[in-house]
Amino acid sequence: MPQYKLHYFNFRGMAELTRLIFHYAGVAFEDVRFEKSEWPQLKASMPFGQVPVLEVDGKPLSQSYAIARYVARQHGLAGKDDWEQAQVDMYADCIKDFMILGRPVYEEHDPEKQKILMNKFMTDTMIPHMLVIEAQLAKNGGVLVGKDVTWADIACYAFFSFVISKNPDVLNDCPNITALLARVSSHENIKKYLETRPVTEI
Amino acid sequence: MPVYKLHYFKSPRRGRAELSRLILSQAGVEFEDIRFAHCEWPAIKPITPFGHVPILEVDGQVLAQSNTIARYLAKRHGLAGKDDWEQALADMYAENIHDLLNAVAVPFTEKNPVKQKEMYQKFMRDVIVPHVAAVEKQLKKNNTGFLVGNELTWADLAYYAYFSDFLEVKFGSAFLKNAPHLKALIDRVKELPNVKKWTEFRDSTYPEDNE
Repeated sequence: MPQYKLHYFNFRGMAELTRLIFHYAGVAFEDVRFEKSEWPQLKASMPFGQVPVLEVDGKPLSQSYAIARYVARQHGLAGKDDWEQAQVDMYADCIKDFMILGRPVYEEHDPEKQKILMNKFMTDTMIPHMLVIEAQLAKNGGVLVGKDVTWADIACYAFFSFVISKNPDVLNDCPNITALLARVSSHENIKKYLETRPVTEI
Repeated sequence: MPVYKLHYFKSPRRGRAELSRLILSQAGVEFEDIRFAHCEWPAIKPITPFGHVPILEVDGQVLAQSNTIARYLAKRHGLAGKDDWEQALADMYAENIHDLLNAVAVPFTEKNPVKQKEMYQKFMRDVIVPHVAAVEKQLKKNNTGFLVGNELTWADLAYYAYFSDFLEVKFGSAFLKNAPHLKALIDRVKELPNVKKWTEFRDSTYPEDNE
């Protein structure tokens, strides 16, 4: 087994997906977490001045989704052939779009402004895509692609569990997404991880 | 060989479908390059998986998301990297470009010309300059003339598409003056016979793209 070292801030953010993949797969890794105050000194040592970075036997890889995909592929969570892997990538990219477009909404501190941004985000982005995901889960027996959980399902869990912690009603009309979240969070390794995971705002 | 149909807008400038077109062209693979006018979009949108283009039809089955499409085509046609680690590195570079495309979309869509100029300057200074320095460092370290391993991958095509097709056209190549390895890579890709064949065909067939 290679030595894995994942570097990120001490919050969930863009690294949580990879942490969940490692835990789901039961693979040991060093979960290096630093505080925001330490970042200025660390930034220059990252290949592209960004985190997360995964070191694999000392070799660095950056970009959260390149990292997640690599770890998932190494441990059987990526889809069984090129086409399935592409389908998994597609759903994972959809979740990534949610995160990119949702970030300014969740980061807005002014409650009035946030309400407006949230409405637009929900109407233009979240609801249409959620319906697609919900329909796919219903059609495909509870997972997005193939017969088993893949990293796209874990990405769904990571994103939607965050969203419902802020807006509990978001999944009211999505029983299949709700069931998927329960399926992932009740996995023995995930349950154990969630019990001791640092509690952070994002 | 599967039947590939790539669907995207007619304009603006090439956008997020061009990387896939370059991959297919470089690999010498035939594909139907469907470009539709913006007025046709309302009719097409409902049949896309997520309401976006590009989409790729592969023997009638549909794939969405520009980098997913590009990665799939790269893998099927020998341009993804030789092993899992190289493929991860190529992914990393493609994701970098994806971020840069998202970043430039902000000034690109700004309507006020004065504000837009300011935004582009900030973008070049805060985003492009540091990124070019970081990529230059990686290219020097890899020391093969390519971003990943010792062969062309879709990562090189992605950097060529973004830096040459968009940035060089818009800003000239002054921003590459401290990045001889990146400049050499872009020039190398530009001159690849299949890439050259594609760009010459493209530029003469779709002149409206050159805005």
